[in-house]
Amino acid sequence: MFSCSVRVAVMCALCTAVGAAATLPRMADGKPNFQGIWQVRGKAANDLAAEKGVVEGGAIPYQAWASAKKQENFKNRKTADPLGKCYFPGVPRIMYMEYPFQIFQTSDKVAITFEWSQVYRLIYTNGKPPLHDVVETWMGDSRGHWDGDSLVVDVTGHNNKTWFDLAGDFHSEELKLSERYTMTDSDTIQYQVTFTDPKVFTKTWKMSVALVRQKNKARLLEYQCEAEAEEASGDFERDPRTWYPKPGAPPSPLGPPAVMPQVAPLAAVKPGTNLRRTADGKPDLTGYYQSNAGGANYGLEKHGRDAFTPATRGVVIDPADATLPYQPWARAERINREEPYRGYDDPTAHCFVAGVPRSMYVPSPFQLLQPDGYVVLLFERMSWRIIPLDGRAHLPDNVRLWQGDSVGRWEGDTLVVDSTNFNGKTWLNEVGDVLSHAEKVTERFTPLDGDKFNYRATVTDPIVYTRPWTIEIPMNRQNEELLEVACHEDNGDLQNLKNVRDEYRAQHKKEK
Amino acid sequence: MGIRKLGAIPVMAMLMAGGVAAHHSFTAEFDQNKPVKLTGKVTEMKFSNPHSWIYLDVDTNGKVVNWALETGSANALIRRGWKRTDLPPGTVLVVDGWQARNGSATANVSSVTFTDGKRLFAGSSNEAAPTK
Repeated sequence: MFSCSVRVAVMCALCTAVGAAATLPRMADGKPNFQGIWQVRGKAANDLAAEKGVVEGGAIPYQAWASAKKQENFKNRKTADPLGKCYFPGVPRIMYMEYPFQIFQTSDKVAITFEWSQVYRLIYTNGKPPLHDVVETWMGDSRGHWDGDSLVVDVTGHNNKTWFDLAGDFHSEELKLSERYTMTDSDTIQYQVTFTDPKVFTKTWKMSVALVRQKNKARLLEYQCEAEAEEASGDFERDPRTWYPKPGAPPSPLGPPAVMPQVAPLAAVKPGTNLRRTADGKPDLTGYYQSNAGGANYGLEKHGRDAFTPATRGVVIDPADATLPYQPWARAERINREEPYRGYDDPTAHCFVAGVPRSMYVPSPFQLLQPDGYVVLLFERMSWRIIPLDGRAHLPDNVRLWQGDSVGRWEGDTLVVDSTNFNGKTWLNEVGDVLSHAEKVTERFTPLDGDKFNYRATVTDPIVYTRPWTIEIPMNRQNEELLEVACHEDNGDLQNLKNVRDEYRAQHKKEK
Repeated sequence: MGIRKLGAIPVMAMLMAGGVAAHHSFTAEFDQNKPVKLTGKVTEMKFSNPHSWIYLDVDTNGKVVNWALETGSANALIRRGWKRTDLPPGTVLVVDGWQARNGSATANVSSVTFTDGKRLFAGSSNEAAPTK
């Protein structure tokens, strides 16, 4: 009787542990499947050591000088916190800020995309060392491996500029992290971090928080820290012709949008015949890409070169005359945007995200991933696009985003992506080809033989154009890894551009 | 030392004169009617994205002015095997470029050569541009 109940008790304890492991969502390769939208439970981001149960032992083991420095940081936190300037939060801070993030998982990579300012992390789990020397960055270099059912990630290459929380907890460039992600049930990840930094701490220390699956969220939205700050301060000015109107705003100065004519469909691009394929039989487009954009970032229509601008071969394939079918007001605006004083108005000069399709052809690479149910694009200039393939409806019309809302599907071997819900704030390139919030885009990714795909984007924007138009750009897969671009953090040009604009405005006012 | 090593890499030759913009309009910031040719000593190489900056002490009629010279992105340089320490302070460079519209000691770089005529990288960094 006695031995029997002991046996039952032991069996039950095992039963719980085995039961949790058995019911975890798993990938085809048997690894726990972390895919989903997650957010921290609790307020660790405010003050790691003050939040109960976060820091092992309760206190961060600072060296004496560092303890004094942390106190000084705390005192000055309202102005000294790098997050106040919308600088990248660094790791691990980004993991427990009170914003959701989405994890994507493939057999050799884990990507984490954050709602906060479109930051992402790309964690290589292929067991290979980095392709290039690891240099100091805001978000570090992440290399992962599996330890049983736990994902272990070594993060190195930190700069000395990020903090751990709002309370001024900090580190040096010698910081090394070991993160451990363990699913304790299908909706909870225990996120543990081991910190080593001989310059700042007396010993290695650990923290742990729970990340909770956000079952009520089907998508990440956007919180663009710097853009929102500059819009609020007036440093980035609203254009009532192109931006999505605020509730109760007066009607557009342009009157109603054009009725767009139907245009004849273009002859389809033929996919390659010798394509790499994923396990589900779809073309394998995964990889690091550089566009062969022929200067599209300096004008979509054909143009010559000058001292600063490369010639553009012209990427417009429809209409047949290769010119953009502008409405007169928009052509005038496009020409005006070439004036030096308008350079400040280009959102990418502010390091804001480039929008669609510009993100695809800025002179900077991107990584394409095909995790279960999605295509994910990570742009080196720190932004992302998440393209679900489940046929879901677009977001409600009043939700407006820099990168829009994309839904994709396969048509044979071509990936077709429809995007809507744009905010109308982006430009198509540096010379200022125009878009508005009425923009809708259909993109076609057609894989070709030999590490290439053909990219087409058909843009329909009845506020700006008289008919839909299409661009075509080849994309080349390369054996490379993304590096970090801390554009806003290192933006030495914006003030110069602002000065040019302000001088023009002062002059113009005088002349009046 | 780093310089000799760099000089030995032939593809470093690079993006031809007529550098191209990367994340903002160079036409808006710089004046193509104000070409400059500067010889001076490196005081700092700021390795950053989308543009790196070389700071150069230039002696103009006995007066030393520190110029800020905008060049290619750190990531493009890293991908070509560059290191942050490869352009130490004191290195003498000859730089061609275009001055800022406001006339300040700021320029956009079209080419950089060492005193022996070997070219460094150039260009205001269209990372996508062919490096032939």
